[in-house]
Amino acid sequence: MPFNQKPQKFNAKINTVTIGSGDKTVSIGGNSTFPFYSFDAPTANTAKVGVEISDMGLEGASEGIKAYYEGATTMAEIAQKAAAMEGADFVALVLEGGDPNGENKSVEELIAIVKEVADAVDCPLVVEGCKNVEKDAELLPKVAEVLQGRNVLILSEKEENYKAIGAAAGLAYNQIVGAESAVDINLAKQLNVVTTQLGVNAQKIVMNVGSACAGYGYEYVVSTMDRIKGAALGQNDNMLQMPIITPVASETWGVKEASASEADMPEWGPQDERGIDMEIMTAAADLAAGSDAVILRHPQSVATISKMIKALA
Amino acid sequence: MAKFVTIGERLSTTAPAVNKAFTERDPEPILKRAKQQLDAGATYLDVNIGPAENDGEDLMKWAVQLLQGEFDNVPLALDTTNMKAIEAGISVYNRAKGKPIVNSADAGDRIANIDLAAANDAIVIALCSSGMVAADNDERMMHCQNMLERGMMLGMDPQDLWFDPLFLVVKGMQDKQMEVLEAIKMFSEMGLNSTGGLSNNSNGMPKHIRPIMDSALVAMAMMQGLTSAIVNPNDLRLMETIKSCDVFKNNTLYADSYLEI
Repeated sequence: MPFNQKPQKFNAKINTVTIGSGDKTVSIGGNSTFPFYSFDAPTANTAKVGVEISDMGLEGASEGIKAYYEGATTMAEIAQKAAAMEGADFVALVLEGGDPNGENKSVEELIAIVKEVADAVDCPLVVEGCKNVEKDAELLPKVAEVLQGRNVLILSEKEENYKAIGAAAGLAYNQIVGAESAVDINLAKQLNVVTTQLGVNAQKIVMNVGSACAGYGYEYVVSTMDRIKGAALGQNDNMLQMPIITPVASETWGVKEASASEADMPEWGPQDERGIDMEIMTAAADLAAGSDAVILRHPQSVATISKMIKALA
Repeated sequence: MAKFVTIGERLSTTAPAVNKAFTERDPEPILKRAKQQLDAGATYLDVNIGPAENDGEDLMKWAVQLLQGEFDNVPLALDTTNMKAIEAGISVYNRAKGKPIVNSADAGDRIANIDLAAANDAIVIALCSSGMVAADNDERMMHCQNMLERGMMLGMDPQDLWFDPLFLVVKGMQDKQMEVLEAIKMFSEMGLNSTGGLSNNSNGMPKHIRPIMDSALVAMAMMQGLTSAIVNPNDLRLMETIKSCDVFKNNTLYADSYLEI
């Protein structure tokens, strides 16, 4: 019997969210198929790749990453190099130095860096907080304010601080709201519901549904993303039709496979290669499970994942 | 599984205020009732213009355009015994949010409404009776088969025939209730969609009792596989029950605010 291809059609689609302003914008979502199922229906937007940079500069970066940024000393120069990376669609600035349990940089200090980076590049921007819910509630509304007109994605509001961050980013300053939940499908939906109840336009929300490094409880990430896409498309659930962005680098570069030195673990081989492998494997799996955008660090990972996306489009 | 489809029943000539508004082409009371139902979570709105023998075509066109124009092409069930009026309504109907529903055909005098739905690519509510209430499920299923075959012969997708077992009033036909529920199960096992005027069960009961009976019955009927019902969406208890059952059936994903959406 001849093979008879029957496309899986959904009368629903993921929202299209455009990040950035002016000539340089990037659109994510918009598709009505499962990831890479371009044989079921045409792909509206392919997945996008962001390059992560930190307010802490190159402190703690792997050798390969440091080599790529060689010569860049200021945050402006680092941002420009990140934007110029092969395969990069946007730059993601992480304000990890704001963490009260770490460097505890002041909001003013961090805002100065945000401005420096935003002035240095005209590409679409994502700004991530420091993960501390109280500090982010103070910091991210300020970020949204100073970047008015740039249409940036603010990562992220959580259940504990969505009112402050969602209202500032989504209502007062018309940015895009990142809604973060920790691998919990019901909470992912709930956060979208309460954010829209604040008055934020559902078309201006992007979800970060949580992540993990491959091998570290990663199965839950896959099943969460899979079920979200299933409900968004199969049940036309408009409270789950927001595109998904996944910060991959922050998960993968911390695990022992990426952080153990070659001196400590000679049998594991070169450290940089291991870090790249973990980053690429995790990003590829995230994209196959449902991420519409991933955030990576290493130039080789960015180039490889970008190539993979184009090859599967 | 798809979410349970609620068809709001409050735009009906049986309500004097609605009847008057239809007759006088007064948009305000119609839009007000429509909005109340949509705000409460109705998917479809039933537009019952009565027999409308004189100006049915004009009236149905007016109602369809009024409601779809005001409420972003809300999907509608066109409810009248005047077939020409249903066709006229479909001629101006926008399908962006769902096919029109022809309400309704039966296995007797009104069987031609299946032909009408087939000719117009519409959904049809197919009442499993012929003049009188079916004596038992053998008869119900015979009507179901006949209507299904007729629709399919005319090229209809079986999913577009929504079978109505005919909900019966408890006060008088209490002993027949389980039979109706079993019929729903049989439709479901055949992979068919189903609907019906669920609140008929509580006709004649005190006002405060009806939402309780209707909610209990909708939960039992959804368990049997009922996919839709013609209801009063402004009955909060009933709508909360439907939303909760949709969660248990895995038709919608649970979130703490699920009752608010």
